[in-house]
Amino acid sequence: MTTPFLQIRGLRKTYDQVVAIDHVALDIKQGEFMTFLGPSGSGKSTTLYIVAGFQEPTEGQVLLNGKSLLDVAPNKRNIGMVFQRYTLFPHLTVGENVAFPLRVRRRPESEIKAKVEKMLELVHLADYRDRLPGQMSGGQQQRVAIARALAYDPPLLLMDEPLAALDKKLREEIQFELRRIHQETGVTILYVTHDQEEALRLSDRIAVFSQGRIEQVGTGEELYEHPSSRFVAGFIGNSNFLPVKVEQMGAGRARAIFPNGQAVEGDARAFAAGSEGTLMVRPEQMRIRPHATSAQGLAVTVRDMTYLGDSMHFAVQTPWEQELAVRMAVRDGQGLCIGSSAVLEWDSQHGHVFA
Amino acid sequence: MLLDYDRLGGWRWGLVGVGTVVMLFLLLPIVFIAALSFGDSQWLVFPPPGWTMQWYQQLLTDPVWVNALLTSAKVGVIVTVLSVVLGLLAALGLARSRFFGKSALQAFFLTPMVLPVVVLAVALYAFFLKLGLTGTLTGFVIGHLIIALPFSIITIGNSLQSFDSALEDAAMICGASPLEVKWRVTLPAIRLGMFAAAIFSFLISWDEVVLSIFMASPTLQTLPVLIWSTLRQDLTPVIASASTLLVAFTVVLMLLASFLKKGSRQ
Repeated sequence: MTTPFLQIRGLRKTYDQVVAIDHVALDIKQGEFMTFLGPSGSGKSTTLYIVAGFQEPTEGQVLLNGKSLLDVAPNKRNIGMVFQRYTLFPHLTVGENVAFPLRVRRRPESEIKAKVEKMLELVHLADYRDRLPGQMSGGQQQRVAIARALAYDPPLLLMDEPLAALDKKLREEIQFELRRIHQETGVTILYVTHDQEEALRLSDRIAVFSQGRIEQVGTGEELYEHPSSRFVAGFIGNSNFLPVKVEQMGAGRARAIFPNGQAVEGDARAFAAGSEGTLMVRPEQMRIRPHATSAQGLAVTVRDMTYLGDSMHFAVQTPWEQELAVRMAVRDGQGLCIGSSAVLEWDSQHGHVFA
Repeated sequence: MLLDYDRLGGWRWGLVGVGTVVMLFLLLPIVFIAALSFGDSQWLVFPPPGWTMQWYQQLLTDPVWVNALLTSAKVGVIVTVLSVVLGLLAALGLARSRFFGKSALQAFFLTPMVLPVVVLAVALYAFFLKLGLTGTLTGFVIGHLIIALPFSIITIGNSLQSFDSALEDAAMICGASPLEVKWRVTLPAIRLGMFAAAIFSFLISWDEVVLSIFMASPTLQTLPVLIWSTLRQDLTPVIASASTLLVAFTVVLMLLASFLKKGSRQ
């Protein structure tokens, strides 16, 4: 077996008494686009800053190609980084900003010139070489920052919420650019964000952080379809959480009962019988029928319905007066109106039982 | 706002009146002295009976005055350079590191600003007398530097504070060594603050009189000291012209400083 490209092993960082991250471990393949996703304070940025060298871990190791990064000074790590704040040097032109890492590496002038041109073409800003950063929009500045971070062909590019300060439209535009740049250069990217949609759009794999630990690692699809915890399910995509009591545990499946005594089945990890749990079902996996078509159906009342063009959004009320969100195709929602009684159904593999 | 200028009605004219009086109070003496320096009366009569440039001519041909002017300039330039260099090092240390007693050190650096200058002058005089530094250029420079340095530290410290240290992180990860980061990124970013510190330092040295009186000897004195000692002997319009030159140069530097401030805001 070959050694993984980047290994993060047992990282722990404490400030005084506060634990910022604990037991953070992850292997990243060469050329992979890995995203650290999580709410603020979950430890994703701390982990990135340790890889960058701006912070030292209390415990743990970071290996690049099998060699420790922690013994290397930040300016010798040869890593590219794009920050959340705009960090172009204000007194240098765009071209000189991109040339900066090459100048400190004492590369010959002809090579610098060619490389700057190539990098500015990569981010589609070739005509802006002689501008000053202050004369450019936030989106353009971040594209220059990407060009600067890639100018010295680093094996690893770190990005710390680089698009957080931009508006939605611009953000999507640069996300698209970023995918293209990733494909064209093949650079390995570690990307930090708190935006789940951004994570899904960009990443090969996502590591979900919560309270200083990695909660789950997987592709966007794995995380969405098979979340391992209530936190991951709640953080990625929309979800309904229904209270249940686990009755019986089988091979990866649990039989549970709702507060109204009705039985239900769902995917589950190990559970002690009799313990309290939560059943999670995505809004788009649920269907509202005028009459029951299968055994696993929950009697509900339609409380609200909203026409959204490509789909309809329903709010329904369970017998124990909990409101649930349901999304269906417009044609499937015909015949329903506010106040009508109906049956809520879903396939049992779309139900997940969490502690 | 409650006290909006546009809604003050009749009070407005009162305000304008008070403003004008204060302005005249502040500026008239300067206008007065400038007018006298061009007047042809030997006795500083106002308004001058006629106009002449002879006092300036006398000023710039008298070796005593010329030497004082040169001494002032020399001391000013040396103090400026030292004040900016030391101020930069101190400000960097205070802004970028954490150590025990930092705030005490910060307060200590600023004490010359609050200490009565005359106390400082007497102390330095007694001390320098022992070292044989009174009446020397070094004595002037050290004395002025003590008063100028706090302004330098504050001005450079302020521009360091508004400078985003993430830029230093970015430069570092780009491969620049700590020294290169300072030289290529930090210093260019705070250069306006350093210019301002330089101008302040020069001005402080340029019109410093209390300390200088203690430091001066008959052969080595700065322009303000010479004005002061000449004034005690006789009242010649040369003093007026020397004062006017002093003020004119100060005004030029102040204008320069305010232009720099404008530039840094853009």
